Amino acid sequence: MNPVNSAILDARTGWVILGLFSVLWVFLGWLWGHKAKKLDEFMLAGRNVGMALGVATAMATWVTSNTTMAAPQLALQLGIWGMVGYSLGSVGLMLFAPLARRIRILMPYGYTSGDFVRLRYGNTAWRVFLVISLFYAFGWLISLGMAGGVLIHALTGIPYHYGMTVIVTICVAYTLLGGLRAVIGTDFIQTIIILVGITILAWLAIDQVGFEEIHAGISEQRPELLNLLMPAALMFLFNNLLFGVGEIFHSNVWWSRAFAFRKDVGFSAYLTAGLLWIPIPIVAGFIALAAPALGLNIPDADMVGPMVAAQLSGMVGAVLVFIVVFSALASSLDSLLAATADLVTQDIYRGHLRPDATEPELRKAAHVIILLLGVGTWLLCLPRLTTLAELLYFTGAFVASTIWPIAAGLYSRRVNSNGAILAMLLGTAIGLYSYFAIGFYVAALVGAGVSMLIVIVSSWLWPQEFDWNSLSENNREPLS
Amino acid sequence: MTASVNLLATLVSIALLVTLLAPVILVGLLIRDWKKRTLW
Repeated sequence: MNPVNSAILDARTGWVILGLFSVLWVFLGWLWGHKAKKLDEFMLAGRNVGMALGVATAMATWVTSNTTMAAPQLALQLGIWGMVGYSLGSVGLMLFAPLARRIRILMPYGYTSGDFVRLRYGNTAWRVFLVISLFYAFGWLISLGMAGGVLIHALTGIPYHYGMTVIVTICVAYTLLGGLRAVIGTDFIQTIIILVGITILAWLAIDQVGFEEIHAGISEQRPELLNLLMPAALMFLFNNLLFGVGEIFHSNVWWSRAFAFRKDVGFSAYLTAGLLWIPIPIVAGFIALAAPALGLNIPDADMVGPMVAAQLSGMVGAVLVFIVVFSALASSLDSLLAATADLVTQDIYRGHLRPDATEPELRKAAHVIILLLGVGTWLLCLPRLTTLAELLYFTGAFVASTIWPIAAGLYSRRVNSNGAILAMLLGTAIGLYSYFAIGFYVAALVGAGVSMLIVIVSSWLWPQEFDWNSLSENNREPLS
Repeated sequence: MTASVNLLATLVSIALLVTLLAPVILVGLLIRDWKKRTLW
């Protein structure tokens, strides 16, 4: 066994890469977004985003640091099904494709997922939904901020607080300067970097170690990873699928893109993004399977990807991994910042505090809210409490409980407000109970199941005749 | 039931091929959108 230090780069190289890419993202953010004077241009990129940028932003946002770091970890823990299970996260993107088209048709003036729930189910359901959505958004923001600090430290030795501060500051800076246009533009470049980076690393593993040696290494040291009937892996597969669907169906990250894409682009952009996303966790996960053949001693399972890359190609591989991870982090953090700021601006500030706010006031509020979200994320990430990052694990039950009220509410007139509220509340409660009583791998499964049952039964017993036209109201009218 | 070396190689090769093609597809779409002035 070759014990390898988990810091694969020296801090100086790390700072140079961080500096170069930070300047690049901020400059591009300013370049693409500084002409956005209207609220629609800043928050929704002018509602005119084309196919190429649409596909890339959906892919980049869904490739988080989790995909590049946790997919290899899962491959090492759950074997082949770990990789395939993670890739089922793409099902959420593909299932959202028809929804994105319908959202754009039904709500030509919509801004957020909160707008839909308010107009479809009324104020009580809207507030329940906002609690779920904001809880998830903050959980994800904190988890990404902390992941940034932890990963930069693990890869380069740069202290956690410096790394976390850099990643949060950079993303806040270019989102603030350019709004969604900056986010979507940088997402395109980040997607290309991630795809090319993991392709090179996987190719190195095949070229230098080879399939036969990798297979032999696993068979000898970790034969369970090749077991196609591993029960925990099969449960993970279905839970991950539903968690992904719940995350995408409810989150304003995906709704804001549905509003931002050109009218005819939403369906094909999400479907293509889903199809192109499928292989990413498999390729990233495969890199980890080379660890047994390389005789690596892995101190932390989530560092397996970078360690294998460093072992395969030394400094070049280490630099490549760092750039891929930094791109994956930035592409998700910026999207989440922009979408959460939209939700807070439209649904909290305008919806609850200033219903008569003018467009310039809302634009100014959006800037202040992005800044406050950045400061809030930074403050909550400072103590490096892992319990805060673990918040995200709990959100499986929360987000899965919104799948049916959202999906059925978009297509069926019969779904009623009380059914939607009950589905979200009971789905979350019973999903959380199962999380503690059974395990993390069933929370989303149970949350979605309970929510589905309530939506179906309540729509059958107390059907509503919803008027679709009421969704297309111009949301700029003051709220009642 | 154990995954054979052939199964592993096929799965990873297909995944790698799609990952390799993805940037080509994205850049192709970008050029098309740019020509049609439908970038954003």
